[in-house]
Amino acid sequence: MENMEKFIFGKLTLDALPHLWYTIGATASILLMGIVFAIILTKTKLWGWLWHEWLTSTDPKKIGTMYLIFAALMFFRGLIDAGMIWIQQAMAADSTGYLSADHFQQIFTSHGDIMVFFVTMGIFFGLMNWIIPLQIGARDLAYPFVNSLGFWLTVAGGILINLFFVVGGDFANTGWLAPAPLSELEFNPGVGVDYLIWSLQLSGLGSLLAGINFIVTIIKERAPGMTLMKMPLFVWTSLCGMLLIITAFPVLTATTLLLWLDRFFGMHFFTTGFGGNQMMYFNLIWMWGHPEVYILVLPAFGLYSEIVATFSQKKIAGYTSMVIAALSITALSYLVWLHHFFTMGAGADVNSFFGIVTMLIAIPSGVQVFNWILTMYKGKVIFASPMYWFMGFVATFMLGGMTGVFMASPPADFQVHNSLFLIAHFHTMIVGVALFGSFAGITYWFPKIMGFTLNERLGKYAFWLWLIGFFVSFIPLYLLGFKGATRRLDHYAASTDWQPLYITAAIGFIIITCGILMQIYQLIVSIKERKLHLDTTGDPWNGRTLEWSTTSPPPHYNFAVIPTVSGRDPFWEMKLQGVQKGRRPGKDYPQKNYPEKEYSEKEYKDILLPKNTAMGIYISAFAFVFGFAVVWHILWLATIGLVGTIVCVIIISFDEHREYILPAAEVAQNEASIKSLVQG
Amino acid sequence: MAKWQKDKVAKTTAMKIIRFIIVLLVITSAAFATFFILKSDSTLLTHPKGVIARDEFHLMLTNVFHMLIVIVPTYILLFVVAWKYRAKNSSKLDRSQAEYDPDKSPGIFGELILWIIPSIIVASMATITWDATHDLDPYRPLKSEVKPLQIQVVALNWKWLFIYPEQGIATVNFVQFPERTPVHFSLAADGSPMNSFWIPQLSGQIYAMTGMVTPLYIMADGPGVYAGKAAEINGQGYADMVFVAKSTSQSNFDSWIVSVKQSPLQLTNNTYNELLRPSENNPTTLYSSVEEGLFNKVVLKYMHPMHPTHHMYLNHMDSHMEHKCAH
Repeated sequence: MENMEKFIFGKLTLDALPHLWYTIGATASILLMGIVFAIILTKTKLWGWLWHEWLTSTDPKKIGTMYLIFAALMFFRGLIDAGMIWIQQAMAADSTGYLSADHFQQIFTSHGDIMVFFVTMGIFFGLMNWIIPLQIGARDLAYPFVNSLGFWLTVAGGILINLFFVVGGDFANTGWLAPAPLSELEFNPGVGVDYLIWSLQLSGLGSLLAGINFIVTIIKERAPGMTLMKMPLFVWTSLCGMLLIITAFPVLTATTLLLWLDRFFGMHFFTTGFGGNQMMYFNLIWMWGHPEVYILVLPAFGLYSEIVATFSQKKIAGYTSMVIAALSITALSYLVWLHHFFTMGAGADVNSFFGIVTMLIAIPSGVQVFNWILTMYKGKVIFASPMYWFMGFVATFMLGGMTGVFMASPPADFQVHNSLFLIAHFHTMIVGVALFGSFAGITYWFPKIMGFTLNERLGKYAFWLWLIGFFVSFIPLYLLGFKGATRRLDHYAASTDWQPLYITAAIGFIIITCGILMQIYQLIVSIKERKLHLDTTGDPWNGRTLEWSTTSPPPHYNFAVIPTVSGRDPFWEMKLQGVQKGRRPGKDYPQKNYPEKEYSEKEYKDILLPKNTAMGIYISAFAFVFGFAVVWHILWLATIGLVGTIVCVIIISFDEHREYILPAAEVAQNEASIKSLVQG
Repeated sequence: MAKWQKDKVAKTTAMKIIRFIIVLLVITSAAFATFFILKSDSTLLTHPKGVIARDEFHLMLTNVFHMLIVIVPTYILLFVVAWKYRAKNSSKLDRSQAEYDPDKSPGIFGELILWIIPSIIVASMATITWDATHDLDPYRPLKSEVKPLQIQVVALNWKWLFIYPEQGIATVNFVQFPERTPVHFSLAADGSPMNSFWIPQLSGQIYAMTGMVTPLYIMADGPGVYAGKAAEINGQGYADMVFVAKSTSQSNFDSWIVSVKQSPLQLTNNTYNELLRPSENNPTTLYSSVEEGLFNKVVLKYMHPMHPTHHMYLNHMDSHMEHKCAH
């Protein structure tokens, strides 16, 4: 009987049901949101629309939007975690605060994983899905189905990382990288670490598929005339980021798989005894982890290059240098992983090597900053809100870069490693570079995505709240590091004098939260006032690259006629040719009212487009079932999940009718209706 | 210009100046606050009390000054350029329009300079880093006329065990040593995942792991009491895994040793196994004697193919050690 139960339910028992205040609360709110959502959809009869138009779509624009919405949802989860951490630490001088040590440790672990894997990566995948095909003059990604699959695998991972609220109530308490041997069975017998491992396995696979897809797209699908050295810098840095993904993510998959083998089959890769090597885990995980940092920031670098050029109304300074800088950062990022554990005692030669290579990264980073400034030099800088984010980014980036080089020196790192100084440093980089970058990018490309611009005034308020909140919350952490505060402390002695700084940081968090509320308000107001800010030209910022040459939002085939590219700023050049006669480009820089290029009916051709498919959802659902079953050691369910996944992959592989033809006549008709809509 | 227009201009200019002054005040006061926080005694890293920590602090200052050579001008340039070339630069409208050059780029030599400037700084910092990393290598014994004191450290869940092999005593969560004497810590862990051993005012941290020994040398300038802590997450009791490090004069240290020798507690295999059980918030404990070769057993335990649990195993290790010694 007991064996039977064990076979059916694995490690799952009634104890796994929510019974703690936070698991009950989270479960209730998840259920409530689900029910409200279902009622709305049923009332408005939108289930079919949701399924056919969105969930099963293979259009990168729709998948991009879904990535952005998914990332935004996960952002609120990560934000609540951050708030709980800050409140706990502000309270817990000579007291235990309101969280137990274990619960506190679970919170910072999930905060890290969610913010890195689902929020930052999610936002950038969303923007890349939207913008890269448009910028390179393509109609789609190279593998539309793989794109859908990658997205749904990421979602499966995201659901799995939140599922512990409902089933199990226990997440990993190890820190976001699940460092062995702390994450081994010996110290962590619960299912928390397994949830973490399988969530990262699924979303990591999703990222890997997306990485492959973007690389092939960028290499193979560029418009005629767009050589590699004519690609927009956002495409370049995204390409670098994707190269890092396809080389680094397999390491993550392998490492967490080895950890799982330790936990499931009792193997000894990273255990304390039996020849297990815990130092190997640190090496492997950071061999993925350091490139991961650049996966997050490289696309942001390119995005800033686009923004600064557009709003300075000037071509980017030192394009070739910028490309070389991005490539050298990519190459160097493989050679610095050991700087995450100088303190392991590798010896002076090894430590110096990795320290010096780390410092080398400052050179291309510096070149980028100089070139951004030189782009503004002799430009006409319009301070729209994306430019505010850009300025805030450069200011924080230089601070973060400085503290980064500071820690690259091994003896100095011995003193600040594992302290709040380190926390402040990487938040400066991830918030100041990647998150500010995604806000800049979303503001910048919002009219392209939605067809109207965001409210500028509220966007600037949100920026100031974010920037001030950021400094108020993270400068104290730098100082706390100097006061000897280690990271991940759930409580501390009041005699350490840390509490005032922790409280300051918590105030900063409140300011940041106000900034986020301001962004939500901005979104609501902008949607309400959308008629006032409609983008009828497709080019609200006087842009330079191809994405601004289509309508906003673009038709599902992106370009009725694929443009031919002859320079680095193809759309700017098109506009220049249009306004050249009798005007000096210096004074009358290309304005929004450029002459539209007219296409004759004959120029339209049949367009091959991908069909929608639900297979991505099915495969991810089976993979999710597999992940869940493995977490709980339910072998029969795991078998079903695995077999289902494989069968679905085989089925879709033999489906040869995944595309349809949009006839030229229909394209012409569609273009004509868009034109009349814009002019009318 | 009509009077009301002039008034309006004057008003907005006044507003701008007031706003600028407020921003300036906020930034200056934040800078002062930062300075005083760094200066206050509870800021451990800026108040090193040992030779290693002091060298590390000086290295930090050197590096920061190096970086400021580039960072400060870049900050100034960033805001000056952004301000000067803003499109709404109404006061110098004509001039800025004349300067507008949409194709301006630094050119190949300009770009080379951009690469060379940070390269020079990094090259200079790289040489400093190489030397400093070798000078401050934790493996490197300190130069001193005094013979180093040996202390073996075992990170346990969740407390620090200090063994004085030469004095034959042991302590938990408390370590004492004479001032101006090099102390050679040998770090290991038992029944605990990766740990990091850190006394901020005396030296940077180094990991303590099972099955291996990592060294750390420190030397305190004078008598004092310093906070020590675990800096790597290791489970439930992580936050309370702190200890006190005390440096005293040699004579005080000697009399302390004598007093510890009076302690009724002894660290035998049995008491060690009890200590090995996870516990939080351990009080300071003093042991008047230590089982011979305990530290080596703790380290070798994890190099052995047998299951690393406890008593029977430790006895087995005894014969193993003797076997080794016989060779």
